[in-house]
Amino acid sequence: MAKRITIDPITRIEGHLRIDVEVENNAVSNAWASCTMWRGIEKILRGRDPRDAWLFTQRFCGVCTTVHAMASVRSVEDALKLEVPLNAQYIRNLILIAHALHDHIVHFYQLSALDWVDILQIPKADPAATQKLAESISPWTRNSRNEFKAAQDRVNAVAASGQLGIFMNGYWGHPAMRLSPDVNLLAFTHYIQALEYQRKALQVVALLGSKTPHIQNLTVGGVANAIDLDSANALNMDRLEMIRVLLDEVVQFIHQVYFVDVCAVAAMYPEWFKIGSGVRNYLAVPDLPLDSAGSSYDLPGGYIMDGNIAGTRPFKTASDKVFRDSVSEDVTHAYYQGKPLHPWSGETEPQFTGWDGEQKYSWVKAPRFNGQPMQVGPLAQILVGFAQGHPLTVKYATQAISNVQAVGGVRVTPDMLHSTLGRHAARAIRASMLAELAQKHLQLLTDNIAKGDYTVHNQPVFPSHEVEGVGTHEAPRGTLSHWIVIKDEKIKNYQAVVPSTWNASPRDASGAHGPYEASLLHTPLARPEEPLEVLRTVHSFDPCMACACHAFDPSGKQIAKAKVL
Amino acid sequence: MKKVLIGGIGNVLLGDDGVGPYLVQLLLSRYEFDDGVEVLDLGTPALDLIDQISRKDVVILIDSVDTDAAPGTVLLYRKDEIMQRRPSVRMDPHSPALVDTLLSAELFGVAPVNLLLVGIAAESYEPSCSLSKPVEASLDPAIVEILSELDRNSIAYRLREYPVALEAWWVDSRRTESPRIVHCTTA
Repeated sequence: MAKRITIDPITRIEGHLRIDVEVENNAVSNAWASCTMWRGIEKILRGRDPRDAWLFTQRFCGVCTTVHAMASVRSVEDALKLEVPLNAQYIRNLILIAHALHDHIVHFYQLSALDWVDILQIPKADPAATQKLAESISPWTRNSRNEFKAAQDRVNAVAASGQLGIFMNGYWGHPAMRLSPDVNLLAFTHYIQALEYQRKALQVVALLGSKTPHIQNLTVGGVANAIDLDSANALNMDRLEMIRVLLDEVVQFIHQVYFVDVCAVAAMYPEWFKIGSGVRNYLAVPDLPLDSAGSSYDLPGGYIMDGNIAGTRPFKTASDKVFRDSVSEDVTHAYYQGKPLHPWSGETEPQFTGWDGEQKYSWVKAPRFNGQPMQVGPLAQILVGFAQGHPLTVKYATQAISNVQAVGGVRVTPDMLHSTLGRHAARAIRASMLAELAQKHLQLLTDNIAKGDYTVHNQPVFPSHEVEGVGTHEAPRGTLSHWIVIKDEKIKNYQAVVPSTWNASPRDASGAHGPYEASLLHTPLARPEEPLEVLRTVHSFDPCMACACHAFDPSGKQIAKAKVL
Repeated sequence: MKKVLIGGIGNVLLGDDGVGPYLVQLLLSRYEFDDGVEVLDLGTPALDLIDQISRKDVVILIDSVDTDAAPGTVLLYRKDEIMQRRPSVRMDPHSPALVDTLLSAELFGVAPVNLLLVGIAAESYEPSCSLSKPVEASLDPAIVEILSELDRNSIAYRLREYPVALEAWWVDSRRTESPRIVHCTTA
């Protein structure tokens, strides 16, 4: 007999994703991803000055403020065919990289590590043995017996108090938890240390963006950072040096801790390289522009259909014509009126019906690329780059594969990357690439300033006729695109197609599942009433619904409830 | 010197949810504070809030709350009371962050000694850049609560002789038909 399990909410940060699965013979037989909140923020933008749009869009979400600010100014620049000075490109790139590094660290340690790490095993660990193990896989200097002992003491104190606090909702002692006590302690210690390094990444965002959350330094046509090597208040060599010191520490944490931990955990759960595949169409846009016109990039983009990696089609630019022409949003199963529309003519007219898995069941629209659902995020980024022989992607992907083999004797083939662990590994690979690029772009900025170029801004000129633009950013969770129509210097239409809309999309008119839904099918569940396995796969996408949907639902008091159908 | 944070939480695009950030602007406009007092618009920070509240002596957070109380009612919640809630139970759009944040900060040993949540019962979370009438009427009572908490902790503040102009975001640009929070110009 089938059993229906509803998980609501699933994100541990703001957001209101609901997952429904049907379980038969201890495996998922059907799945629905839905967002319980209505989205209509874009309507606020109509009639406003396009130069102000980024100030509003960066309030879409409190976690990813910068990405929406950046996509917004890029959309206006694309519409105006406005170039951006080199300094501005480098400063923007550094902000985007620092934000992404922060986000990836937080995602792995704060939001998903505890799907794999069993806190209740930690009291049984031996800090000395943990140190020995840690030293065998990483040169990280904080892998000391003292740090491990201190972390263990914290868990012991929580356990002794009888109040599990932050750990109250974990599925501790679940049969799908399999790390040894020492590995659990290792990961948990890094969970504590991660807090310091994600903060340093945010400090870089604040130093360049003048504050965080909500950076203040953007402007259509560039940035508003004054560069003056002789002024204490402007971007000068002291400040660049502060950024360098902070980035060096973050880069070391990414390379010596995060990347190593993901590979180690992956090596212990090899079966998860075979679970959680789902939609094998992938999409990523190029990012980190290296020139004013945005004609060359440090990160490649493209798309893959049906898992055919050899047939990857690259995108030349971040607003490639193929990308511009191929996106539409279907609302057959979403609480909106209307037919599939291109974002420039997109509508946001609600039609709430209540949850009905056969009809409408989500506030998220279903974005499609040439009519097909696409998976976005680090896995798409890595596969698209790997297929094109992008050297940095190949370097860290190869290193990840050899790390997993060294720790667990698991031979990872490219095909195994279409999986739950593939997404985690891809995120660690992407973060390692970005870490290296952070140092590169800081050097590019420093060198350019040293040449005497202090330009940060080009003045926008608005034509009187109607113009359209798309601003993209390959954000931590994947392809983000803001679509703008401008007439008479005012916003006529605005739509944001965000990464979690692609991944959390409901079915479309043809009945094709979105990536979350498809990835859950056939997942085995050891204890259906404690659907840890569902959480693992959904968390591997790094769900964050705050920008996919907005508003508010007072329900969801339980993490999971099960009922027999 | 005590380390103090007064932080406004909320999404300024969702009607009454913007009340926290808006109150922060009002406070900055009207008052000067002791050294060591940070007054910040935090937006909807989720777990990033851990950084903001860690190692502080006194934290005062201002947020909209979804309760049965009449819109505009000012409700006070203390640290212990918030921490007793289950991490995933929401009492407003951001409380998962607040509860999770406090519990995490406690685990990491960096939780603030003293924390007060000044909650304002919301009327509407519909997309909009302005506050409802009842919530607008709660602004002064909420400020009284915030200042009383500073008094209880012997933290000095001073009414400015002339209010400071608000940041551009908070001032009606008059360029559009749907103005931002217009009443802030009269603060």
